[in-house]
Amino acid sequence: MILTEDQLQDLLDKSLAELPRGTEWAVTLEGSIAEGFGNPSSDIDFLLVGRSEDDLPTMPSLLFVDGRRVEIRTRSVRQLIDQFRAVEKGAKQPGRLFEDLLNRCQRLLHSHPLRGHALIEEVKAVLPVERFRRITADWWAHRARQSLRHAMAMLCLGESDEAADWTRAGLVQTVKSWAAGVGETYLEPKWLSMQLDRAGRSDVRDRYWRLEAATPAPGDTDAVHAYLADCLAFAEDLGLTGVPRQPERVTVERVAGITTWQTGDRVHVLRGRRDVFALGDEAGAVWRSLVLGRPLPRVLATTACTGVRAPGPLLAEFLRYGLIRLAWKGGGTITPSLPLAAPSGPVTPPPSTARPLLSVRGAAVGGPRAVDLMPLPADRFAAAAMSLVWSNVVVENAVEDLTGALQRGQWRVAEIAARRAVHAALRGLFSAHGVNPLPTDTDLVRCLDLLPSGTAPIGEHAGDLLWRTVDTPERGDALLTELRTFIGRVRGAVGADSFPLSFESADTWRATLELGYDWLRIGAHLDAELPIEEARDLLAGHGTQPHQAR
Amino acid sequence: MPDPMTVLVTGASGFVGAEVTARLTAAGHTVLTLLHRTGDLVRNNGRKLTPGPGTLTAVSGDVTRPGLGLTDEARRIVAGADRIVHCAAVTDFGLSYARYERINVAGTRNVLDIALAHRTPLVHVSTAYVCGERDGTAREDELDVGQHPGNGYERSKLTAETTVRKTAADGLPVAVVRPSIVTGASRTGRARDRKTVYPVLRVLTRGLVRTVPGHYDALLDLVPVDRVADMVTEAATRFEDAEGRTLHAVGHELTLRDFSEVLAEYPSFRVPRFVPPSAFSASALPDRERPYHDRVIALYATYFRRRVHFDDTQAAAFVGRPAATGARPYLRRLLDDCLATGYLGPALGPEQTAARPDGSTHR
Repeated sequence: MILTEDQLQDLLDKSLAELPRGTEWAVTLEGSIAEGFGNPSSDIDFLLVGRSEDDLPTMPSLLFVDGRRVEIRTRSVRQLIDQFRAVEKGAKQPGRLFEDLLNRCQRLLHSHPLRGHALIEEVKAVLPVERFRRITADWWAHRARQSLRHAMAMLCLGESDEAADWTRAGLVQTVKSWAAGVGETYLEPKWLSMQLDRAGRSDVRDRYWRLEAATPAPGDTDAVHAYLADCLAFAEDLGLTGVPRQPERVTVERVAGITTWQTGDRVHVLRGRRDVFALGDEAGAVWRSLVLGRPLPRVLATTACTGVRAPGPLLAEFLRYGLIRLAWKGGGTITPSLPLAAPSGPVTPPPSTARPLLSVRGAAVGGPRAVDLMPLPADRFAAAAMSLVWSNVVVENAVEDLTGALQRGQWRVAEIAARRAVHAALRGLFSAHGVNPLPTDTDLVRCLDLLPSGTAPIGEHAGDLLWRTVDTPERGDALLTELRTFIGRVRGAVGADSFPLSFESADTWRATLELGYDWLRIGAHLDAELPIEEARDLLAGHGTQPHQAR
Repeated sequence: MPDPMTVLVTGASGFVGAEVTARLTAAGHTVLTLLHRTGDLVRNNGRKLTPGPGTLTAVSGDVTRPGLGLTDEARRIVAGADRIVHCAAVTDFGLSYARYERINVAGTRNVLDIALAHRTPLVHVSTAYVCGERDGTAREDELDVGQHPGNGYERSKLTAETTVRKTAADGLPVAVVRPSIVTGASRTGRARDRKTVYPVLRVLTRGLVRTVPGHYDALLDLVPVDRVADMVTEAATRFEDAEGRTLHAVGHELTLRDFSEVLAEYPSFRVPRFVPPSAFSASALPDRERPYHDRVIALYATYFRRRVHFDDTQAAAFVGRPAATGARPYLRRLLDDCLATGYLGPALGPEQTAARPDGSTHR
């Protein structure tokens, strides 16, 4: 130890002097210094143990004594016994055993008693040190298996740099497992070199450091293959089981709450009924080729049939976002975690910045390999899309109404129809930009500053049209012409896909309706708001073209 | 255990019949299997049925022939039966009515003649869908209430069950079990015989038909084959409790919305758009979809319209077991099994699909 017994007792006296008096504590030194590691800047960690029945606070007191940082924790005997029992209970499922709990037990078991030795030893005896070695070795072995299996999978997917990183993580976890088995249970890897030095197996130590130094250069796939093989051989020699180099044991599995919805050619993947990912054509083709539950190499071979170049990295991206998961046959889900880090879980990428965001055929994407996260919650996304489809229908319907009214000289009717068309077009414009719920019709023009600045002229144009009156055929024709120009501008701003001229022919009308049904399907899944009750009638009731006999 | 009996099982090589036969022999009963062609009986798990401790005796016969086409010797053996379980039926859709009439109606009549000859108690396997096209609750004590059968199969089963009931009124001890749509095993989803909903799933998940007339709240009841076999077996072995009753052997109620949402969990599956039947026009379907619609979807379209719930009060009281739970997980098990065996999954090449546009599994 880097401090003598006298130095420790002196530090303890000075520390206790700063604490309230009254309780009789047994005291033990924990942490790196007690383990025989440490350096002049290492903390002094005192654990105070009392027989109190009350739960003692978890937060340590921080003191500075003789220029050293001293941390003082207090635990009751019962709390410590509970910790040991929890570790014993969780030992059968190392993947669920918290690192912090294991660390607390390890620190106590390897602590150096300073006061009340009998009580400290009584507590330590609850979990025999040999048993704890086995538990810790299994805990690290579990992590090593996850990392190495994940590395194997990443290599399969062509993600060699990621595979190298996980191989390296697995290497550390493997040697930590071995070291724990021979008594070096200290969890932090930062003292690994000293642990290996005193473990008494220079062959293991030297082989580890050789592998540790042999990390392949980025992009060198062949070197990663060789590196993984060497690390797996080392792991096997150290007794790690469950990681034969058999990528076919990795299977691609379903994740609960992931659903696929296609509108037009666009594939949308919903995550947890909350996030919407829009897939570019190539990403969509790879996603659509997935048959879950099958071995990864077989899945990869199937994805290759899509003709999409390098499907592996796309699968890796799906995995990263938690759209699929990997499992090891007989070993459950592969949950890799870096040494002393919790499994990271699914990543959420930055949201898409595409504008406009939507067309009636689906979300905009950044390219064929895009797996773009929509910048609004799934239910609002679906509601905006349905609103867009409905706006499209209403625009066409209102223009027809206007045309009919003008033919009959119904000027007031014509004015209202024109306003209805303008409002519907604006609602489409807002919806295409993902605005949902929509402002009221009277606020639409005022709220245009919510949209990209390029839409400002549309607002001015709309404002002008909303005040137009009609009292002669000439003014009526002018309004109709102007309205068509306005609708053209909106189409120009959001793309023709957003407003495909539904009433142009029976085929385009049917196509619009089908898209409406497609969106309704997602909307129903998400319990999203339908634009208005008429939309439900249209989409779920009759589906006939307004103003036409069937 | 009840005293060992001798039970004549018609349709013993069928999806339900083989499982009933296996259960009866496992309970120590002797089973006479009425078969019109020789060959091993295969259980739902794909393995050959190994009888025991009860014995199995194959009897050559044909339900479509008077007297079941039995030889004198066979007739003598059948006369010794303590029970008859009538599972034989044609369940494929889209056949000529003459075929349904010959097998389901005349076949049942022929079985009734044999049963009447010796007053042998009969368990008749019908279908819950004798209820015809209707919404609401279909009760076990209802039979002919003027309903409109959804297809020739339903009509034939309604006629057959009506005949059974008339014969019962004439003094034949009868119990009727009405399964809903019989599908894979409860625990594994495994199904040896993929008819009814299976070809529909195949056509839909491959995107061969994308627009289907139907209501999202239409209900389909899928019952695991083991659940049906258990109830039929129990009706035969505890006949004194089942006599005179009609038992709905029903399982998992699934709406089309359930189907839609579970199918959406499989990346490779296409999810059909269900459109209101009033808005649907088969002639508007793309040319590539229409043959699949006409040969598969149209046959089952009646089930996509009905919102019928099968009351199973009598059945529940008879078996004393809780109702099936977990409809969506069960559907996933069916789909997973279909994927594992390659029945569902990425579409075949164009030349293969063209050869079998109905997606059928008929050999």
